[in-house]
Amino acid sequence: MLTVLLFILFGGLAVGCAIALVAQRNPLYSAISLVGVFVSLACLYVMLAAPFIAAVQVIVYAGAIMVLVVFVIMLLNVEEEVRRPVRLFHLVPIAMGLAAVLIGETAFILTLRGASGAPQAPNQQVGLTSSIGTGLFTEYLLPFEITSVLILMALVGAMTLARTATVARPETPGDFRPDSGLKLVADAAGDGGGAVIQPGKTEETGRAMAELQIERGEAAAPSSRPPRGEG
Amino acid sequence: MIPLTWYLALSAVLFTIGVVGVIIKRNAIQMFMCIELMLNAVNLTFVAFSSYFGDLTGQLFVFIVMTVAAAEAAVGLGIIIAVFRNRESLDVDEASVLKY
Repeated sequence: MLTVLLFILFGGLAVGCAIALVAQRNPLYSAISLVGVFVSLACLYVMLAAPFIAAVQVIVYAGAIMVLVVFVIMLLNVEEEVRRPVRLFHLVPIAMGLAAVLIGETAFILTLRGASGAPQAPNQQVGLTSSIGTGLFTEYLLPFEITSVLILMALVGAMTLARTATVARPETPGDFRPDSGLKLVADAAGDGGGAVIQPGKTEETGRAMAELQIERGEAAAPSSRPPRGEG
Repeated sequence: MIPLTWYLALSAVLFTIGVVGVIIKRNAIQMFMCIELMLNAVNLTFVAFSSYFGDLTGQLFVFIVMTVAAAEAAVGLGIIIAVFRNRESLDVDEASVLKY
């Protein structure tokens, strides 16, 4: 049976890549393994007569999401995970017993239900792109529209989270803003000697600030240099 | 043909591997990828049920799940970048301030 062989091939590839994903210590190798899982799952979707989902799986998951992940890995220059000793070692036998119970339970239910009346062949008509499009734009139009709002929120959220916090820094005295630190500098001289900062008048404010600094001795007076002609 | 239970078993195995990865991994990006693996395992279940029972809803749900996963990837990686910028590390054991 060709389909059984293909299922074993792609299923084994998926499980092997998933185990490699967990076992790798380098995040980039994990990402490559995850791409392997995605591609073999896409092959399984094709076997399930769902070509649209298979294409979207390759385009969205293996294309967009993994490119994003690899970009972040490259950007952050992540180091490999260091091996650490296992804590709570005495709980390992209990965990193995519970896992055995869970696996037995699952296998029992799967074999039990496998004998009952589930259809044994995939429906060839359901997964076509035309039927999915019809369902998406008629009966399930509202979830589709809500999805767009979700994507918009994710866009705004990602930009807000990843943005660098910019520090407000006055470039010139004319760049005065009420919340910037410039007013504090001018007021630090005390009550009498503060320079008046005029928003929008760059030249006057700059000259006032310079005179203030010369008074305080923070800057050299211009008489030490030959004066330039000013208009 | 392949019985439906094979797909369900494969999906359960993939989901379990994803859960194990989320539990034992300390790197935030690798935990994130294990979550993606779990989402994919559930998607496989949806598609298998959908095509074996001839119902369209499962595959539409997979479409929605993929959209949510893409949004989650954008926001999650933004959070990871913000955490890395603050702590210079992706080790989730070190980012434990909220515990106290």
